[in-house]
Amino acid sequence: MKRRWILSGVALTFLACAWLLGLKPAGLFPPDAEHWSRMGEFFKAALHPAFEYQDDGVPEDADPIWIKGLKGLFLTLKFAFAAMSLAIPAALILGFLGSSAWWPEPCGPLLKSGLRVVFYASRFFMSLCRSIHELIWALLLLSAIGVSPLAGIVALAIPFSGTLGKVFSELIDEESLHAAKALKSIGHHPFQTFVVGILPGALPNLITYSFYRFECALRSSAVLGFVGIETIGLYIELSHEEFFYREVWTYFYLLLALIIAVDLWSAKIRKHLNPGAESWLTAH
Amino acid sequence: MADGTLAAREKRVAELQRLKSKDWFLRISGIIVVVMIAWSWLSSGPLTGKLSPERRWNNFKNFAEGLVPDPVSDSGNWLDAIPWGFELLAEDGLVALLTTMGIATAAIILSATMVLPFLAMANRRLARKDPLGIPGGTTSRAGQWFWRISGPVFRFGFVICRAVPEYLLAFLLISLLGPQVWPLVLALAIHNFGILGRLWGEVVENADSGAAEQRLASGASRFNVFGTTIFPAVFNRFLIYFFYRWETCVKDATVLGMLGLLTLGKLIALSKGFFWDEMFFYIMLGATVILVGDLLSTLIRTRLR
Repeated sequence: MKRRWILSGVALTFLACAWLLGLKPAGLFPPDAEHWSRMGEFFKAALHPAFEYQDDGVPEDADPIWIKGLKGLFLTLKFAFAAMSLAIPAALILGFLGSSAWWPEPCGPLLKSGLRVVFYASRFFMSLCRSIHELIWALLLLSAIGVSPLAGIVALAIPFSGTLGKVFSELIDEESLHAAKALKSIGHHPFQTFVVGILPGALPNLITYSFYRFECALRSSAVLGFVGIETIGLYIELSHEEFFYREVWTYFYLLLALIIAVDLWSAKIRKHLNPGAESWLTAH
Repeated sequence: MADGTLAAREKRVAELQRLKSKDWFLRISGIIVVVMIAWSWLSSGPLTGKLSPERRWNNFKNFAEGLVPDPVSDSGNWLDAIPWGFELLAEDGLVALLTTMGIATAAIILSATMVLPFLAMANRRLARKDPLGIPGGTTSRAGQWFWRISGPVFRFGFVICRAVPEYLLAFLLISLLGPQVWPLVLALAIHNFGILGRLWGEVVENADSGAAEQRLASGASRFNVFGTTIFPAVFNRFLIYFFYRWETCVKDATVLGMLGLLTLGKLIALSKGFFWDEMFFYIMLGATVILVGDLLSTLIRTRLR
């Protein structure tokens, strides 16, 4: 297709969406004087993040705000790490079942159709896991088993194992199959072929992608605060409710610093693991 | 086979030993990860919260019973769920669904359009004194300064934009702009601005630059080269990432409504706690939309490859 057709199509789609949603340029500005002044206050607070609580009701012996903020960051990290430690093993299993590189070479029709069923079943299962957003999983799990750390961890782990598993399976299938073929030809078991012949080659990519997903998990973990799980998102929401904008900015800056630090860390790891890789994320 | 001799084998083993990774950065990173995972599980205290097991079991039973559509639990006939579902769709579901898609699409187009002019200025190979290694370029002192700092500055801008969770951004924007569509669109657009900036930036960095170098050497400006030689060459790869992000936007647009407006998320949040059956219906509706979006984008992207 011609590029200009695609580009005009995109422009027309945007106009259609704008019409459908009733997007007007006026909506980009605060609707009334009250919102204008609120905006002014909000951005003024950005230059003066709080070093002490704005709330007078905080008891004397409470932790200072930056300690509370750091605690929030650690809680945010905790959910992300715990969730990833569940999601990666699950994704490895699902990714293994959803890839075809390890299938035995002379393969009878019966076995092959059986393997196909497993292949598509696991791919469908992964789609199902990731087509419900982690916040909605959290909502469901909180409703089902009540507010608890486990609900938050599992809510993050389910969609992340779906996404990780899908990409894992594709990375595994893209691996060069020379080693696997050689192992199969001397009679190795398919599982051995996978562990010895395929997995080591795919490992750098798997780790790189896992780290990228960890960054996403961190963001999602912060947002879990909005459904009542104690992460830094909860502190932001509570301070915002009371219009303590300077506190909001303190937490916000802390969160930003953490995510940027992890972003840089993960970029560095990618460089060390596979310097020639085209992208941090394979965009499957 | 010469390789089969013992000496050759030993030589090969020694070579492999030498190649074995002794990367201290990776080792320390690994240790950090292991320690953090252990700590995250050990420090949680009771994982299942404060409720007693019986309370939890009762909660769960109520929840599970509530999931059954209302007319079905009255009559016991699952066929009654069909008109019930259509009614929900006609009432709010369809509008919310369209709005969700609209917000995702508008947001990704907006951010794609915004990223394009910044790509040349943020690019590691173009935004420097000698773009693509071709000396010359800007001669004015201000221009040279601009191109020296523009790369790191704009790349850091991308980092900041993608570091902010879109849900948090939408939450803050709603309080400033009032409850309307723009905050949701803007939140998604800003977050994806950072992500597309990085993804597309990497595509440009890895693109074959022969034609671009020639044009630069014959005096074209960086923007000119970007628009006329680089952009057309990487267009398909750009589209692949564009659709990948669109798919993610659809997913995120669904939940942004949980802030209380417009998309499926609103219906989910409103029916939570009172109408479990309706909530589950809307969740499933959202999942279907995302599955369809997933399929569509995968189809388009495999065709583009």
